[in-house]
Amino acid sequence: MAHIKVIRRSMRPEEWTDLRFGWLKRHIYSSKWEIKNLMIRDARQTSEMNFEYYTEDYRPLNKGDMYFTPDGTAFIKADVTLPEELKGKELWFSLKTAAEICVKVNGKYVGGVDPNRERMLLSPYINENEVLHFEMMGYNRSKPDDERNPESLSVRGCRQIFEGAYICTVNHEVQDLVWDFELLLDIAKSELFNEDYRAFLNKELCNAMNLIDFDSDELTGVADAKKYVDEVIYANDNYKGSGDVALIAHSHLDVAYYWRRIHAVQKNLRTVLIQLRLMDKYPDFKYTHTQPYVYETLEKYYPEVFEELKEKVANGQFEPVGAMYVEPDCNVPSAESLIRQCLYGQQTYKRMFGKTVNNAWLPDVFGNSWILPQILKKSGVDYFVSNKMSTWNDTNRFPHNNFKWKGIDGSEVLACVPPTHFITWNMPSQIQENWEAYIDKDSGGQTLNMFGYGDGGSGCTEEMIELMHRFDKLSIMPKCQHMRGDEFLEKNLKGNDKLETWDGELYLEMHRGTFTTKSILKRYNRALEFKFRTAEILSIMRADIGTDKIRELYKKFLINQFHDIIPGSHIHPVYEDAMEDYREIDKALDEIIGTGSKYFNTLNIKRDALIFVPNKKGTSSRYGEKGNWLVPDIAPLSSASLRATKHSAEWISLGDTVETPYYSVKFREDGSIESLYDKELCREWVKGDFNKLKIYTDNPGNYDAWDILPNYKDKQIEVKVTTPLHLIEKDGECATFETVLATEKSEWKMLIRLFRRSRGIEVENIVNWQEKHKLAKAQFSCNVLTRKALCDVSAGYIERETHRNTTWQQARFECCHHKWCDLSETGGGIAVINDGKYGASFEENTIGLSLLRATIRPDVTSDMGMHNFCYMIMPHSGDVVSAKINDIAYQYNVPLIKSDCAWTLPTFEPLYLQAAKRSEDGTMTVIRLSEQNGARGKIKLGKTVKLLNMLEEVLGETDTVEYSPFEIITVGI
Amino acid sequence: MTVQNYVENILQPKLQGDGGWVEYVGLEGEILTLIFRGECSKCLILHRCTQWIEEQIKLDLKKTVKVNAIRKKPYFQDV
Repeated sequence: MAHIKVIRRSMRPEEWTDLRFGWLKRHIYSSKWEIKNLMIRDARQTSEMNFEYYTEDYRPLNKGDMYFTPDGTAFIKADVTLPEELKGKELWFSLKTAAEICVKVNGKYVGGVDPNRERMLLSPYINENEVLHFEMMGYNRSKPDDERNPESLSVRGCRQIFEGAYICTVNHEVQDLVWDFELLLDIAKSELFNEDYRAFLNKELCNAMNLIDFDSDELTGVADAKKYVDEVIYANDNYKGSGDVALIAHSHLDVAYYWRRIHAVQKNLRTVLIQLRLMDKYPDFKYTHTQPYVYETLEKYYPEVFEELKEKVANGQFEPVGAMYVEPDCNVPSAESLIRQCLYGQQTYKRMFGKTVNNAWLPDVFGNSWILPQILKKSGVDYFVSNKMSTWNDTNRFPHNNFKWKGIDGSEVLACVPPTHFITWNMPSQIQENWEAYIDKDSGGQTLNMFGYGDGGSGCTEEMIELMHRFDKLSIMPKCQHMRGDEFLEKNLKGNDKLETWDGELYLEMHRGTFTTKSILKRYNRALEFKFRTAEILSIMRADIGTDKIRELYKKFLINQFHDIIPGSHIHPVYEDAMEDYREIDKALDEIIGTGSKYFNTLNIKRDALIFVPNKKGTSSRYGEKGNWLVPDIAPLSSASLRATKHSAEWISLGDTVETPYYSVKFREDGSIESLYDKELCREWVKGDFNKLKIYTDNPGNYDAWDILPNYKDKQIEVKVTTPLHLIEKDGECATFETVLATEKSEWKMLIRLFRRSRGIEVENIVNWQEKHKLAKAQFSCNVLTRKALCDVSAGYIERETHRNTTWQQARFECCHHKWCDLSETGGGIAVINDGKYGASFEENTIGLSLLRATIRPDVTSDMGMHNFCYMIMPHSGDVVSAKINDIAYQYNVPLIKSDCAWTLPTFEPLYLQAAKRSEDGTMTVIRLSEQNGARGKIKLGKTVKLLNMLEEVLGETDTVEYSPFEIITVGI
Repeated sequence: MTVQNYVENILQPKLQGDGGWVEYVGLEGEILTLIFRGECSKCLILHRCTQWIEEQIKLDLKKTVKVNAIRKKPYFQDV
């Protein structure tokens, strides 16, 4: 007999409550008066404040009309004379939209509407006897995913239907009861709360609803229902909750993501405006806003709103947080870039508000480098906040929420990795979830819970604040305290000797693809980081006193290190914008650097590594340019004339084995190396695939640009050899072999260079990359026994295990490194030095250098097209430090320049001269020194210098620089 | 300007600005076949956009077309 599942059933009481709750919400407005003379003009934003208009004039906009166009901005206006029946009442403006609209009335910004809110209070900002001149600027760039309303996808799109604009009055009695029900229904539906209490709520909410007569025209019984909620539900304190939660209002704003940077100007305006208006209404409301850059855009383009913001900063309601200029990616940028984020960020806050901040506020950043604590600490930052490691880690539960974070040099900052997402809407279930997920209940004090809509800005709503005002009526809720970010940090972390310590990088076990996606941006970023260094050193040598030009260029550069720009997780126009910025910065820095008759070594180490010097008459070629390979032999920070040496004697012999002064090399036709025998060290370096191009299918799913899955090696695609390896060029220093490889869609030319006077083996890759969902890696299986890889982190190195013993090592199957990575055993090892790659994997004896990805979300054409990049395989004796791999990597990345200037200051060896710049106040030369080998020592300077922090504030004086492992030291001369 | 040029140079940048993507396939008679990728591929109100495209082509090129929209969703959204 067939079993028939009975699915028909009657409505449950709680569904009856829900149904009536929907009816109740229809009565929030007691009257709505439609504005019927609206006019609209379509446009497209072309820069931060410029628009191309599609029509000469405005056209009428009526309810039911289509409005907004792809990438469009809409200007809407109307002159409204209030009807007599509305005068004397509390008036609201209401416009329900999936777009984002800022509203001005008679020249004053009144508020904003967007998918998260549909009305704004009008009365305090208008004179009801005047004609109200409405001016609205709308833009339709909501993000594709909405955590609270996933069904909102149904109305997300470039063309919207106008649902009308109204001047309304609100039935506060109904509205209050709606907020009560919103709050209580959330608890009733959440399994995080006591089962008996939820049963009690379901019963009593139904009883409260029973008091309202939905059939009456006047909706009688609302006051009775409210009274019932107060006296029966709120009055019941038999059910005790636990916990202590700090509620911090915040809105995360991606400077660029599914929108361009130019659009963030208005997203920020709307966000700030909405929060200011909430502050007007709720004097106890405090809001936390980060990124000095967005404050600058507000100040520049919307000064009247900025003045209001300053007033709210002064009264303590509006809290600037986050010392960094933008929320940068904290994996790829170099130490100096991160320092400049702090320097220019703090400088901006100091100028605007007369004070710096003592926290870094990085809720959405994809993991944080180990070099960060020192940089923060020396930039006036004691506290660090970043959410991702708690909620996004895909393998391990990060073991702390409130803790001390110890950096590579031993510096410590007090850290908070809040247990839950930085976007919440202040619902009891979200707060309860936060408390339950909070690990440091016994040591960390309160837990931090952020609330407010974000990613595209928006922030808090009336509802969030109204709910918050009701929390202390509920005994089931954790104790909640609304406060500023700095209040939370000072109260719970400062002087807290119970906090545990995390010593190491804050590796995010997700988004591992962002070390590689959009590889051209990353290589350009690397080159410009060093070009900034060169330009500033040249400026110092020429005694140029102006800092404004370089500061402005640097700021533009830092914006592009935002955590959805440099990681590659953005739409195509964002990439185009970044490239345009890079080209502009590049050109401007070239102009600053200038030229001269001699070659100048900007490094404070002797240039003793073989490098390629472009020369049209050269006998070798690289990156499509003619030139010569030579050993410059130029002293630190000195100049010299260079001449290519003519070496006519044969230094290489070809055959089954290629013989050079250093190696006997057996190549395969695809450019991989079967054997690399080191004649000097008498050892074989290869054990497995070595310099082998491997292309894997790479299907991480929705987080396409962000993620690589742990099983990416499961499916490898065939790479065919179309032209076997053969010699194409040879002179007295370098022999270049070429092989051409191909997949069905892409061509990959590999140029392998062997040298007479270098242990390095360089591989240049010229790729026409037309793949989709692929990850290309170069694999190096080394004849080296080690359990650790060393990785450059730009101001020191980090050790990473190469085994997979525990889930912690398993999760780190793809890591970020900077200029080099290395596998060594006692006696020697192999480093792979790159000129713009960041992703790498380490497993047993194998390095996998990630070269290219091919993702399609958010950018359909991400990384498609031509690529040209190099890496250098560097077998060496001894360890990384004794082999001076870091020095070699600097020489590989920092080109010689032509200049006739002279360096007159000390050279500061053995520390790395990370930067030399004019101080921001123009009074001294600032020298930044970085210990990168884990050593301790002293440098006698022979003159007195000022010891500075990274904000260029004087801490003392000395004639001796004492340094400790991985320390970054700033001095002023 | 041809319809293809118009799609690729005038319309494409605008759709890209919203995370979308359009590719010209062909014009046969009045039937303009376009491939939509990115956010466009899963847009539930794409018909409004194709109507706008028809209007824009009429306005700027004085040509009447009917858009035949082909959605190319990424595998992870093709459910």
